[in-house]
Amino acid sequence: MQDTNKTIKTISDTSLIGKIGLYFKEKWNGIKDLVTNSNKKTMASFGIMGLGQLLNRQWGKGFIYLFIQIGAVFYFVFKGATDFIGLFTLGSVRSNPWEGITGDNSIIMLILGVLSVIFLIAYFMLYIANIKDAYNTQLRIEDGKLPRTLKEEIKDLLDKKFYKTTLFLPIIGVAVFNILPIVFMILIAFTNYGGVIVETGDLVDWVGLDNFKRILTLGQFSETFFKILGWNFIWAILSTSINYFAGLGLALLYNKKCVKGRAFWRGFPIIAFAVPGFITLLAFKFMFSYGGPINQMITGAGGTAIGFLDLDAGWTARMIGIFVNAWITIPSSMLLATGILTNLNNDIYEAAEIDGASLFQQFKSITLPYVLFATTPVLITQFIGNFNNFGIFYFLRGGLYIDGYFLASDTDLLINWLYNLSINNNYYSIGGSISLIIFIITSVISLAVYIMSPSYRQEDTYK
Amino acid sequence: MKKGLIILVHIFGILLVLFGVGLQPSAAEEGKTKFTGELEKNAVIRVLENDTAIKQGYLSELLEAFNEEYKEYGIVARDANMDQYSDLENDGPYGYGPDVLYQANDRLMRYVDGKHIQPLPVEDLETFQVLNDSAWDPFQSVVNGKEYTFAVPVNIQGPLLYYRKDLLPENWETEYDENGNGVPDMIESWNHLYNFSKERIEEGKWGYMRSFLEPYFSIGYLYSYGGYAFGNNDTDDTDIGFSKGNSELGASVIRQLAGIMDERCIDDTITVTAYSQLAKGNFFATITTPDVYTLFIDQMIAEGMSKKEAVDNLGIADIPLLPKSGDLSETITDWDSQLMSSIMMGGIQGYAISSYTKYPNASLAFIDFATKYEMIYRRNELLGIAPARFDVAEAVGGLSEIINKNLTSGLISVMPSIRATAQIWTPLQTFFQDVAKDPFRTGSQSSKYTSLEAFKKELEKVDKQIYDAIHTLN
Repeated sequence: MQDTNKTIKTISDTSLIGKIGLYFKEKWNGIKDLVTNSNKKTMASFGIMGLGQLLNRQWGKGFIYLFIQIGAVFYFVFKGATDFIGLFTLGSVRSNPWEGITGDNSIIMLILGVLSVIFLIAYFMLYIANIKDAYNTQLRIEDGKLPRTLKEEIKDLLDKKFYKTTLFLPIIGVAVFNILPIVFMILIAFTNYGGVIVETGDLVDWVGLDNFKRILTLGQFSETFFKILGWNFIWAILSTSINYFAGLGLALLYNKKCVKGRAFWRGFPIIAFAVPGFITLLAFKFMFSYGGPINQMITGAGGTAIGFLDLDAGWTARMIGIFVNAWITIPSSMLLATGILTNLNNDIYEAAEIDGASLFQQFKSITLPYVLFATTPVLITQFIGNFNNFGIFYFLRGGLYIDGYFLASDTDLLINWLYNLSINNNYYSIGGSISLIIFIITSVISLAVYIMSPSYRQEDTYK
Repeated sequence: MKKGLIILVHIFGILLVLFGVGLQPSAAEEGKTKFTGELEKNAVIRVLENDTAIKQGYLSELLEAFNEEYKEYGIVARDANMDQYSDLENDGPYGYGPDVLYQANDRLMRYVDGKHIQPLPVEDLETFQVLNDSAWDPFQSVVNGKEYTFAVPVNIQGPLLYYRKDLLPENWETEYDENGNGVPDMIESWNHLYNFSKERIEEGKWGYMRSFLEPYFSIGYLYSYGGYAFGNNDTDDTDIGFSKGNSELGASVIRQLAGIMDERCIDDTITVTAYSQLAKGNFFATITTPDVYTLFIDQMIAEGMSKKEAVDNLGIADIPLLPKSGDLSETITDWDSQLMSSIMMGGIQGYAISSYTKYPNASLAFIDFATKYEMIYRRNELLGIAPARFDVAEAVGGLSEIINKNLTSGLISVMPSIRATAQIWTPLQTFFQDVAKDPFRTGSQSSKYTSLEAFKKELEKVDKQIYDAIHTLN
């Protein structure tokens, strides 16, 4: 019983939730400790950033913190507060260019509002850093040491804490170029930005979960969503598996010593890979068109032309899509597998042969687990790439709306539908909602597959 | 406790600074009448023209002439040097858009809802008296109960029949000119062109060939039998009318025409090869717009003809007459009672002024200058466009006059100018593809369109699809 309790405790300590709980507990204790034991100089930094440092004669650092606070106050007084409030109102003045009234631009207000939140968070973090720094100086003085000078701090940033220096710019870049657009896209999904509002430049409003409700409940719309989602899963699973195993198969084939001129044969898939994807797609579109060479051969032989990609094509067009995608993707899978297979120790195969293992058994028990272990993250990337594969059906069969689909065709994937809705028809908010759903689906699947994969569970097996 | 209180006071102070200060009202300017007639001195006007006008050197001629004319005011017009489909609604408010725009009516009038283009006092322009109402109509719209004109028409786009004169039967004057008007029947009536195409197929060649994928060229068949895009003169997007009237007869004509072609009429493979196929003599006739005339000539020269031979052999005519019954196999005994004119879709390009311009009066002066007789005449000479001004069209004659008259007589139905127009193309494209495919459905794919009711039903679906696309999410 005692052992069981111990096991549960260990799990709770090592589980993600346990770790998060522990982290916050430690943080809370730290804050309590800081507030209880702070002296007057440290408390001064609570009110005015850098004041504690200045009182400890740390002039450089003190003034930097002070200027940060002055800058922040100026920013929030003259711009930040308006931007922050704009995030909630999204504007109130309608534009009237005929009268020279500029009006509020809700989308710009949304972006500036998000930026103001990012600045607010950054300011809050610097504020905390300022207090912690003053407290650490207090502890040093209590230990009988001298406060650290700015020179020493800079030296540290270039030595022991160099990771902070190197990470500073990338973090700023990530915040502006990654986090801001993602947050913007997520927020758009909760607005009514689309249709007439986009066309007329009217004000945008927050609509809560209305867009998601529409996707899931609005007659023809929800029907289209679930039809496309179903096909999207079939497409992603089929194309990922075909590309992966065909690439592996080719790599194994070209690894066999009995194949003559392996380097020569290996060159062909590489050539296919080197041609830009959309050129390949346009070429295939022409090949399968009514005036293309395939139909010319068919009619030349006395047959009837086949509409490989026309509106009746349905599963034929889907299969052509899978084939064309395989043509484009298999070479990269083959190259990846080739690289991995060169690291596999041949002794294992010899031992297996001595033990009487058949070729299939060797593949099933040695090759596949090894390659899977090494390539699971790539496999996940390929799955997500295929789930969001925009180009294939856009180039092969764009510009069709099929019966029973709302602004989509039976080969469209969610990403194509998203494009039709947001770019062709200006329904950005609905597009944002679908993006969010795609994001949730792909991230849950990726995470689940990765956690269940040998790459995560048996990390040490092949080390 | 005391320290906690101090912290709370500080946090309260920070929040006060953050939220209590800096609430600034958005700036707003009072409106003003923009067209005062007083030219803005030293104005620099950015003019957005179409790519062809730039490439053929027309724009530089126009700018040079205008700048010379308005030199004393210091007004300079310049190429806006931006994409011809510039996004005024996004660029304009930030000062990046052009001052004067030259675009087709459907694109220009999209800007009216957001008031991105300025209503114009067109009565003051020289061109006002020499344009028909049918040219002005697409650029007029009612805003807050008042009708305004937003652009000045310059150029009319409409389809024409291109054919090879030298491929006409030698005896056409005796055997193929039933009405004795000196024009071959296959150029005048779809029924005769249909029959002639069948004769050519027997010889291993093609008669009329044209992809049905492009709605711009296929909608006309629906229009001719009473179909329309939007109700109330193409302004009411709640009334979609492609299935209205007897438009199913038009759809049936498309199916019959597809039957004298091959499967290439379903997709767009023959669109790009039409010039060379006509030049090689494989196709007898096709339909396209006037601006590609030189492409046919170039291809014919490439096939070994001299320029004179090419010009002589390339015939251009109005769109043939359609049978009132919608039956292309019907024998025509009485042209007047059995046939009717074809109505085709067209467009009008014109000049508009951005609402964001700082120089409305100078911009208006530019439009006035660019639409004068001499400039439109020169535009026609350099670009081969069909002028909207009837005085220039009459002076030029030929194609320009035919197209101008077709617009006036209603045989060119101008693309709707409302924003919802963007939603009609894909559903129609799918429908036309479906109809064009029908004669080639064999085996398990049995024909879908076995009766006029089937066409009607499918057209009603198209109307609903377009309605849903416009209104479901708005």
